[in-house]
Amino acid sequence: MDVIQNVIYGFQVALQPINLFYCFFGVLIGTLVGVLPGLGPPAAIAMLLPSTFHATPVSAVIMLAGIYYGAMYGGSTTSILVNIPGEAASVVTCLDGYQMARKGRAGPALGIAAFGSFIAGTFAVIALTFLGPPLATLAFQFGPQEYFCMMIVGINVLTYLSSGSMIKALMMAAVGLILGGIGMDGISGKYRFTYGLQVLADGVGLVPAVMGLFGISEVLLNLETKIDRDILTTGIKNLFPTLKDWADSIWAIIRGTFLGFFLGIIPGGGAIIASFASYAIEKKVSKHPEEFGKGAIQGVAGPESANNAAAGGAFIPLLTLGIPANAVMAILLGALMIHGLQPGPLLMSKAPDVFWGTIVSMYIGNAMLLVLNLPLIPLWVMVLKVPYYLLYPLIILFCMIGAYSIGNNVGDVIVMLIFGIVGYIMKKFRYEGAPLVLALVLGPMLEESFRQSLISSRGDFFTFITRPISLGFLIVAVLLLIIPIVTQRKKLSALEE
Amino acid sequence: MIKADRISGSFWLIFALIVIIESYRLGLGTLHRPGPGFVFFWAGIFLGILSLVTVFRAWGSRKVEEPEMLALGKQNTMKIVLVLISVFLYAIFMEKLGFILVTLLLLIFLLLFIEKKSWLYSTLVSIAMTASAYLIFEVWLKSQLPKGFLGFLRF
Repeated sequence: MDVIQNVIYGFQVALQPINLFYCFFGVLIGTLVGVLPGLGPPAAIAMLLPSTFHATPVSAVIMLAGIYYGAMYGGSTTSILVNIPGEAASVVTCLDGYQMARKGRAGPALGIAAFGSFIAGTFAVIALTFLGPPLATLAFQFGPQEYFCMMIVGINVLTYLSSGSMIKALMMAAVGLILGGIGMDGISGKYRFTYGLQVLADGVGLVPAVMGLFGISEVLLNLETKIDRDILTTGIKNLFPTLKDWADSIWAIIRGTFLGFFLGIIPGGGAIIASFASYAIEKKVSKHPEEFGKGAIQGVAGPESANNAAAGGAFIPLLTLGIPANAVMAILLGALMIHGLQPGPLLMSKAPDVFWGTIVSMYIGNAMLLVLNLPLIPLWVMVLKVPYYLLYPLIILFCMIGAYSIGNNVGDVIVMLIFGIVGYIMKKFRYEGAPLVLALVLGPMLEESFRQSLISSRGDFFTFITRPISLGFLIVAVLLLIIPIVTQRKKLSALEE
Repeated sequence: MIKADRISGSFWLIFALIVIIESYRLGLGTLHRPGPGFVFFWAGIFLGILSLVTVFRAWGSRKVEEPEMLALGKQNTMKIVLVLISVFLYAIFMEKLGFILVTLLLLIFLLLFIEKKSWLYSTLVSIAMTASAYLIFEVWLKSQLPKGFLGFLRF
């Protein structure tokens, strides 16, 4: 079968020593980033992106991907031991994981989190292997109209699932779209919104923007409060969950895996949503819902599996269609483009080493992570003890260096800092950064496909509706906007009764 | 979030208006041949409408003002402002002074003045961090960091 051949090819690529090294390095950094609160995958990937410029595209993607799913593993460690989520997708793990730790069951909690993550992650990669090629073939039928509508759906899903106000999320998407337009217009050659500033001529860089929005702003936010870390180091003995633990958790893991995978594929879904959804579902189907919040192991197994499955699933739209499913994928998309690769259905045929090499490296990465996470926990605990006042100067420093090394241009650093301030203010006023980043990345593509659609249809606006696939996407997009309004009306009228 | 929403909504409204005006000037083109300002014009209008909605919702709402996330302790605001000033200065002087010097200065400033650690501690830690950062980024990853006027020392 074709797939087997491709997988073998993938192994040949992924097992090259240099790629093994990058994979290991990526998952190691990913775990570290996951463990450290206040530094998330978007910022880390953006920070390390410049250092991949000297590497081949394959190695670069392998490493950056490793950071992402590695962070899902690492995040559970802090959640369980310190009750502080290492990153957003592990927030839910705090609820029951920390309680388990307080009862002296930190070991099994960590163990089941790691194993669940491994099972889910591996499943996601297997699914990616089999679903990838057919999806890419399907996408060949897409014209600019389909791409445009699909991207709109992506943005709408992200806003629909955002935790804050949907209106604000949509506003951020619009802002991102506008910011994405700064620079030279490809079709007309005119400069837009640059006001004579040289640094903006090429557009607002994705890397400085993300580093500022997610990295610097996070640091500024953390400077406000003192994070009190009470680390539970007692009782991390038995890292292996008992047979009973397995029996209790296996269905949670399976449910979490499937749920996470599907939520990961949908643009805008992602690991965070997946973990919350899994927790909610586990609580609903449990025979002892009252135990949730007090140390129910399903509350750890389910979400941790879900977030890893989602991380894997998120690669599908990116690698097959060139559509980023969440902020991290958006950055990876930027990374691919920086390395000269064209994401989309052509990626599989034009750069099979990147496509299959990355997929196979994810198998290897998941295995590495399983080994890394369990025995190295004492090391991570030591890392956690590093006080924040030592960490944040390092984070700031890394961001500055990273931004500078994009193009040896101080302008990029300043852009990053400005975005840092903007991101900080946004967080204070409760605006989310993810829709902005997604729109920033998709913006140019969105505009191009929109104009191409109109040009090829000779000004006929109805072209988006007459084409069936495109119409389908549009309907979904509109539904996503209408459903929340309808449900809100229902809630209000129910309250009034 | 009421007062805050009024402020932020008005801000985005002004932003949207600027975008609309500028996009119009860039040229909207026709439906046959959309011009460079086309998409942004409509994006600006979209943003503008949503900002108006935000402002009106904040106005009309009878909700009690939430204990503000905006409230900052005076001490902490100072900290954030100082950090911001120092990183901006870092960026501005990066190329003049070179990586090593400006990094050392930044780290010492952060540790000594903002975090109030001792002279000895700050200096030692700063040197250690600068050295490791240099090793990682310049030597290993070959990032080509600015050398500044100390460049003649040929690190």
